[in-house]
Formats: sequence, C-alpha cells, structure tokens
Amino acid sequence: MTEAHALKTRMATLFRRFPFLPALGMLLLLFVLNGIAEPNSMTVRALKGVASTYLALVFLSVGQTFVVYTGDIDLSVGAILSLVNVSIVVIMSQLGGEPYVVLLALLVGILIGALCGLVNGFVVSGLRMQAIVATFATSILLSGIALWVLPVAGLPAPSLFWKVYGGRSYGIPNVFFFAVVLIAILAVLAKTSMVTKLLAVGNGQLSAYQSGLSVTRIRIYGYVICGVFAALAAFCITGDTASGDPLVGGAMTLSSVAAVVLGGTALSGGIGSAFGSAIGAIIIGLISSLVFYAGIPSEWQNLAQGATILVVLMLGVLASRRINQ
Amino acid sequence: MTIMQPTNPQDSRSSIIVYFKNPLLVAFILIVLLLIAGETLSPGFASMEQILRLLIVAALLGIVAAGQNLVILGGREGIDLSVGGVVSLSAVLAGNVMDGNNANIIAAILVCLAAGGLVGLINGVGVTIFGIPPLVMTLGMLGVLQGLLVVIRQGIPSGLAAPALANFVSKPFLLNLPGILWLWIAVGLLMAFLLMRTSLGYKIYAIGSNENAAYMAGVPVKRVRVMLFALSSMFAALAGICILGYAGTSFANVGDSYMLSSIIAVVLGGTPLSGGKGGYTGTMAGAFLLILMQSILTTLSIGESGRQVVFGITLLFLLLFYGRSKALRG
Amino acid sequence: MSRLKLQQICKYYDATTALASGDLLLESGEIHVLIGANGSGKSTLCKVVAGSVRPDGGLFELNGKPVTLFGPKAARDMGICLFYQELSLANSLSVAQNINLYHLPTHAGGLVDEAELARRAEHYIDKFRKVVGENFSADTPVTKLRPDQKQLVEIMKTLASEAEILIFDEPTSALDRSQVDCFFSILRELKEEGRSIIFISHRMDEIFDIADRITVIRDGTTVSSRPINETDQATIIRDMIGEQHETAAQISVSPHDQMANAEICLKAEALGGTQLRNVGFSLARGEILGLGGLHGQGQSTLLRTLFGAKRLTTGTLELNGRLVHPASPRAAIKLGFSYVSGDRVRDGVITGRSIMENVSPIHFLKDRKFLAFPSVLSRVIEPALASLNTKYTSLGASISSLSGGNQQKVVIARWLTNPPDILLLDDPTKGIDLSAKSELFALVRKLADEGMAIILYSSEDSELLAHSDRILVFNNGSVSRELVGEDKTRFNLYQAAYSGAK
Repeated sequence: MTEAHALKTRMATLFRRFPFLPALGMLLLLFVLNGIAEPNSMTVRALKGVASTYLALVFLSVGQTFVVYTGDIDLSVGAILSLVNVSIVVIMSQLGGEPYVVLLALLVGILIGALCGLVNGFVVSGLRMQAIVATFATSILLSGIALWVLPVAGLPAPSLFWKVYGGRSYGIPNVFFFAVVLIAILAVLAKTSMVTKLLAVGNGQLSAYQSGLSVTRIRIYGYVICGVFAALAAFCITGDTASGDPLVGGAMTLSSVAAVVLGGTALSGGIGSAFGSAIGAIIIGLISSLVFYAGIPSEWQNLAQGATILVVLMLGVLASRRINQ
Repeated sequence: MTIMQPTNPQDSRSSIIVYFKNPLLVAFILIVLLLIAGETLSPGFASMEQILRLLIVAALLGIVAAGQNLVILGGREGIDLSVGGVVSLSAVLAGNVMDGNNANIIAAILVCLAAGGLVGLINGVGVTIFGIPPLVMTLGMLGVLQGLLVVIRQGIPSGLAAPALANFVSKPFLLNLPGILWLWIAVGLLMAFLLMRTSLGYKIYAIGSNENAAYMAGVPVKRVRVMLFALSSMFAALAGICILGYAGTSFANVGDSYMLSSIIAVVLGGTPLSGGKGGYTGTMAGAFLLILMQSILTTLSIGESGRQVVFGITLLFLLLFYGRSKALRG
Repeated sequence: MSRLKLQQICKYYDATTALASGDLLLESGEIHVLIGANGSGKSTLCKVVAGSVRPDGGLFELNGKPVTLFGPKAARDMGICLFYQELSLANSLSVAQNINLYHLPTHAGGLVDEAELARRAEHYIDKFRKVVGENFSADTPVTKLRPDQKQLVEIMKTLASEAEILIFDEPTSALDRSQVDCFFSILRELKEEGRSIIFISHRMDEIFDIADRITVIRDGTTVSSRPINETDQATIIRDMIGEQHETAAQISVSPHDQMANAEICLKAEALGGTQLRNVGFSLARGEILGLGGLHGQGQSTLLRTLFGAKRLTTGTLELNGRLVHPASPRAAIKLGFSYVSGDRVRDGVITGRSIMENVSPIHFLKDRKFLAFPSVLSRVIEPALASLNTKYTSLGASISSLSGGNQQKVVIARWLTNPPDILLLDDPTKGIDLSAKSELFALVRKLADEGMAIILYSSEDSELLAHSDRILVFNNGSVSRELVGEDKTRFNLYQAAYSGAK
C-alpha cells in the first residue's frame, strides 16, 4: 500500500518535472506503428524526409509555446513565417547567393521575426486587446506585407541555402544537427529566469503583478521569443521548399496550436514545456505518414488523420489534467 | 502623492465617452462613414443595388456569426473554430443531395441541419463531458471535417444548387429584397427573442457571466453549453446551404474564411470573447461592417497586399474600442 | 517622523466606496494592528500601500517625503511588501521559485542559479521547519500543498522581500497555534531589527498578543488609533461597531426553544464526505438551526453537501419522510432546498447582468417557464425584492451598480419568488452593512414563523447566538456539541468550539 503510494508520488513528480512524457510515449508508439506498417519508413532517408518537412512546424510550435506559457495565443505565427520566408528569399536573390549575403539575410529574418513579435506583444499586452482577435488582425497585416514583398510564389532561394538544409555532414543529414541544436537551445531556455516568469504570469496575471513582476513586459517578451522562433521556422521552410511563397505559413498556425496542446502545455497557461511542443509537432508529422503507410485509400487519408489528431488531442488534454491534479 | 480631490465616480466619465463605448453605436457610425467614404471614392458604391449586394454577403457571414455569437456568449473561453468546416461540409452535402433539383431542397436542408447538429453535439460533449477547451476541441473537429470533405467530394461529383435556392438567395423575393435578407432578418428576430425573451437566453448570459453562480441557481450548465455548440453548427450548416445557392455550385473549402471572420464580426458587434454580455444586433452590424470594409478596400487601387495591410490596421484600430481587458492595477 | 504616513486615502469602485478616508501612521520597529469588520476597507488600504490598488485621492508619505507609487514593483523597490490575503502564489511553480519570484537569482546570461535559489528558499523555510508539516519541501509545487502550507509559503515569500515595511493581511487564518507562535516569534525578531509591520487578524487573542498599536477602520474610515496599553477588547469592539446598537446584544430566548413536538422535515444520519464526519441532526419546520464553531470546521461543507454542490459519500438524508440524495444544486432545488452563500461573488451574483436576470433563475426552474417577458416577470420579482427592502433604480439596472448588502438581497430574493421548504444560509452576512444584516435576520425569522426550516451558519458568533433556536457546534468535520435552551451561551459555544469536548 505505502509502496504503491510512494511509487505513485514518484511518478507524479516525474510527470510534473517532464510534462511531455505522455507525448513522448505517444511519439514512440507512432514510431513503432510506422515501422510495423512500413519498415522502410524507419530508414535514415525516410526519417530525414519527415524531419525536413516537419522541422519548420517544430520551430513554430516551440515559438507558440512561449506565448501559451502566459495564457496568450499567437494566431499570426504562420504569417510571420511567410513574411520572413519571402523577405530572406528576396534579399538573397537581390544581393546574390554568397555566404555572407545568406548570413545577412538570416540576421534580417530574425530581426523581422522579433519585430513582428514586438508588435503582437504591444497590441495584446500593451493595449490589452484580446489575443485571439488581435493576433488574427496582425496576421492579416503581416500577410499583406508578405504579399507586397513577394506578390507571387516561386522565387527560388540560392542553392547554398537548400543544399545546406538538405545536405549531409559526416554522413548524417544536416537537419538532424539542426534538431540537436534546437534541443540544446530548449534545454538552456528552460533554465532561464524568463521562462519561470512567463509561467508565473500564466498561473495568474494578478498574482504575478502583485508579486512585483512586470507582467506587461514579460508577456511582450513571450511574443518576441515566439517571433524569433517563427523566423527560425521560416529558415527551415525556405530550406525545404527552396523558394519564397507569401502564403506558405497560413495553414501552419493552427497546427502549431495543436502541437502545443499535444505536448502537454495548457492553453490556459502556467504549465507545460517547449520540448513537448516539439514532440507534438513530430507527432502530427508521424500521424500523417502513418496514415499514408497504413494503406488507407487516398481519399480517406485526410479524415483518418483529422480524426486521429482529434482523439490524440483529447487524450493529451485528459492526460495532462490527470498529471496536474 | 499630494492631496487630490476625490473624484466622484458619477462625474469621472463624461457622457460622450460612455456613448462611444457602446460598440453598437460605434459600428453604426462607422458603417455610415464607410458608406459615405465609399461613395466619394467610387460613385455608385452606396447605391441601393450595391448595398443590397453587400448585404447578401453580410447575411451569409451574419448567419454563421449567429452561432458563433451564442457559443462566445456562453463564456468559459467559448469559441467555435469548426464553423468554417461545417459551412463547407453543408454546402457540399446540400449540393449533392439536391443535385440541381427543386424537389430535393427540403431533404437537403434536413440532411445539412442534422449533420451540423451532430457535429455541434460532438463538440459540446467534448467540451462539457470531457472538459476539453473549446479552442482545442473545435480545432480538432475542423481537421476531421476537412478530411470528411475530401471523402465526400471524391466519392460523388459535386452537386448543383437547386434553381429555387439560387433565386431565393440572390433574386428579389419579397418587397424587392432577396430571400436571404428575409432569412437574415428572421435569424435576427429569432436570436433577439431567444436571448431576451426566453429563459434559455437568461441562462446563456448567466453561465457566461458567472458559471458557478448559475450552477448554484440550478441552471443546467452542461446541457445549455452543449445546446450552444449544436446551435452554432446548425447555423453554420444553414449558412452553408445559402452559400451553395449564392455560388450555384459547391467548391472546395468555401467555408474556410468564415472561421475567423465570424469571430471578428461577433467581437466588432460588442460581444467580448470572455462572454456573458453583448448580443446579436451588434453582431449583425459587425458582420456588415466587416463586409463593407473589405468591399471598400477592393475599390481602392492599392493591390491585394495594400488591401490586406489597410484591413489589418483598421481591424486593430477598431479592436481598440471593443472588450479590452481590465488593467491589472485596481 | 513616521516611516509611513497615510492621510485621507480614498478609493471608489463604480457606486461603492471601498475606502472613504484611510489614515495610518506607522513607526519604525512597530507592530501595528489594523482591525475592522469584513468589507471595512482594511485590505484596500493595504493594497494602496503595496501599490496594487491606485488610490483616488489622499496623502501618502514615506519617511517624510510624499511619494506616488506606480505599481507593486515600485512599492517593492521602496521597501514595501504585502502578504496578500487571497495569496499571490503561482500554483504550478515550486515553493523555492515562489519564494524567490521577485528576485530570481541568475548566472550571467539569465540562467537561474538553482543552488542559490535553493539556498535562499531553505533560509526562509528553516524559520518554519518545525511547523510546516508533511510533504513540504523547497521543490514541491504549491498546488500540492495544504491551505496552511500555502499560507506559510506566502509568509516566506513576504519575508524574503526583506522589506522595511511588511504588511500581513490575515496571514494566520488557516494556521494552527504552533504555526502562529512560530510566525509571531519571527515578527518580534523583525521588530527588534527596526522593521515596521502592519498586521491584520480577526482573532482578538492574537492581536493582544502581538500588537504595539491598534488602528480601527469602520466603513472605509479610520476611527481610532491607540497604543496597546491604552485600550482593551471592549473599546476596540465599540470602535468597530460604532454608535449603532450592538447586534450581539441579547440572546433570544424565543418560544422556538420548544421544538420537541414540531414537525420534523429534514433528518440526517451519519453524513460523511470530504471534511464531514458522521454528522447527524434533525430539523423541524419553523426552526432556525445554527451551525457554530471555528471557521472552516465543516459547517459550510455540510450546507453545500445538503445542496448537492459537494458529494455525500456516506449517510442517509430523509426529507419529509422520504430518502433523498441531491446530486446537484438543480436536483436539490427541485426537492425544496435553497442556498445563500456569503461568497456572493463566487456563488451568487451573476456578474454584470441585470437585477431581473439575477432574480429569475429559480422561478424559471420551479415554474418550468420558457418565456421571459419582463412585464410578466416583474410581477413575480418585485414582491420578492420588496420583502427585503431592496433599494434599486430599475429591474434592468446592472446588479454590479448596487452596494454589497443590496446585491446580497437580490440574490436572496431569487429564492423568494418560489419559496423553498428549507433555507441554507452559509455565512450570509459576510461583508454587508449592519442595517442590511438586521433586515435580513428579520426576514429569516419571518420565514421561519411561516413554516420554513432554516439552517444558519455564521462566522460571527453573536449573530448565531442571537438568531438561532439551537446550535450545533462543529469541530473538525463533526458535531462536537449541541446547544439548546439554557446551554446556548457564548461561554458554552466557545468552550465547545475550542476544545471539542462533549
């Protein structure tokens, strides 16, 4: 009895420290199912394909997490991604594809992402507008700017860009290195005082304010971090598609929210982990590849995918509620 | 701090500001201003025919927003992201069932409302029984609906609207107004009656304002909330049928744009996302305002990008008036 | 020169005055007790000092210089920190993170210095080591803690500010004796160091144990401030109540004491649930049954359980001879129960909606009404409001425009449209003014005389003694003593409440 109780307490502590554990379990299960459905889906080449396609969503979902930490939401992440994508492609094609130009473009891209986050943070936190509608409005604004930067899709990115993204070093695909770098960044970020403060705000804005935290400023930081990650996501998508497209990010916004929820972060704020969101994004990717490999007729694949994601989302919410009780 | 004159709360807000805090009034003033601006920019913009045409488009949005309005009024972060999917699904279903034949209209309407009701029921059960946040539940449902659309569209060739339906939506029906506007007026009256003259309306506001107090006063909170989601999907289904009539034939993802614009129409109409206050009259004005803004922008020769930029900034500016949260300092 | 000087601080929320004229002089090395009835403005005054409420007027001087605060952060930087009565903890964060939240120790680069975080947290936890209880450590998330442990964490968090001015707004309400003693010894040390402490509590013995000076606030105005050795309990209570008659004046010995052969309508046997142990009683028509004892001993839980808002795990409930099991408030209402909560913001008021909407729900439910025409409704609603002398401009006015007392009357009127058999009153007069209180109790007695059965819990013992026919004293979830007739005295009530002896 007491031993069972001790085990339960230990498990609870474990889950609380690593809120992404249920998502991780789900991820492993999906890997196994994928492997059973199609053994070839576990080759380095196939995994590289999944990683290249979904790394952008991973970064985007990670960014979304920092906003959701405070209980806010950012429906403009897709638009930020599109804007950064077209901006860097235009810069690189205007100035040529030399390495230093590529670096400059990346720098500008990150600045644009941060600036977009600042605007979002200002309207939501500074002007106290409702996050859902305000960031939807900024997403229209940012999409407009993206269309102005590049009216039609298809401007190619310089070869250096996609060769690095799609290439290999020491025989290992570069996207895997990027994934490792992301994990390292997340491990460091999770230890910063900013994350503690974001979570404190998410636990209750009034309490955080009364504790002397600058709630308005902290929420703005959340949006800025989100914008920077959206820019990183844009780099990935540029590497994957090798071109600029002003509408590329539109459909990814809601997926990023779904990935955040899958990863065990509560939309009400105050609890969760960015690492979980990264796992959530890969889960979304693996579900679609599983649906593909499982031999479901093509017209049924979208439905199977949608239904699976709905079920997984519901399970995820129920699981994290159990853990946090 | 030096000694200040204690401000009398009655005097602290001048009456003009109070008036400008009434979102309904702001929306109407903006509508008139925009009509004047449109007429100045391109003569004929504010002509009767043109306004009628805009009203038809606004009615389609307005009917979707009616359901969205109900869900949002019910509070607890109520929001329905699946309305766009229901609109698309209903348009396709209606087209397939009626297949260009007037005789099948009733059957199509029944099928669509039933399908919508079922979707809403599932949303409502997910939100109330399983306790899934509405945003997550309806977002997941949107994915399911999109998948379902693919299945339905690939199985059967997309159907045509029955001629009577097409006429109802765009041709004059009664007193020179197209039927869809009468439908919208009927929806408006129904909503006003529901919200202000029935106990269900009182209960909706009660759970949106203070769910726990409503529960303690015997309001069946879960049942009401399930009903709200079901109604939301049924309104979206109704709009889907009308959109089929408007377009003549169903095409892919016709409903997508209604997801967020229905929310914006509700917010511009003075119902904050936190729920518990507001009403449908404002939402009707909000829907027309939104369509009017988009239409004015198309008359400007600033290209798609410029239009979006102006639209985004205008929306942000308008949102400054509506439902901003309270400052943390009391 | 005083460390802190407040003069004529005022604060209004719409029509209600939270603070009319708050005055306070706080010296160095002083423990200054602030006392007043619920809703008298103590907390508002404290929040003004701590920067979390913006005053509408008044003078605020720190060390002789007028200052303007722009928020809690500014107050912290000036050396003022407040223990919030409703706690200001981040529930998902650990004890250590909460204690250090304002100044998270960091390495270069913004990474949290975990070792320093733990060291600082342990420093403050150590002060309470003997009394924190089980399952408490620096990395326990706050959500896992018991109410008293949460309160201790808020105390530690306040102490960790090392501010010169420390304000404690009801820090001891959930603490037991040993925890309070430990806390008081720390307060005395701080006083020796020259810090200034404002302390709020409702427990008289605590106040006389710790105070150097006592300031009384009544209806938002500071009415007196005296050194501890120049005052006594009676003086303070007189200041708190004012010139008006004291509600605790006489103990009613009404004909209702002879309830023996009255008709029993509710019979409970061996009720059990969370916070409820083996509670049994019977209730007769026309009777007002009081629930007494220290705060939070299960009185409120019993009422909420009877009303179906909390789960009944064991025991039987017999209503008019029929076994019942109310599973929800809705079911309980249909059976004839009604419930008025003292926490009207949480349980009663439908915020921001009209008076009509606030009164109508029970009428809808009991009369199975679907239509809601204002003209028809007002015929039902107006008499209910009138029986309580409710003051309002129109039925369409927002309930939030009314004073606390009138809001509570509107909530009670909800039940009078279709009178229930059993009225459950859960500390119904919390935070409402004296005249509303006396009107309320007059109505309650009238309802009882008309045959309603009433259970009353009040956190004010004088109310309980004056208005109930019989008192069940609660201790730790069960009834420790029943006081009837001659036994119904303040002495017996206190004895049963504090000792729990039969």
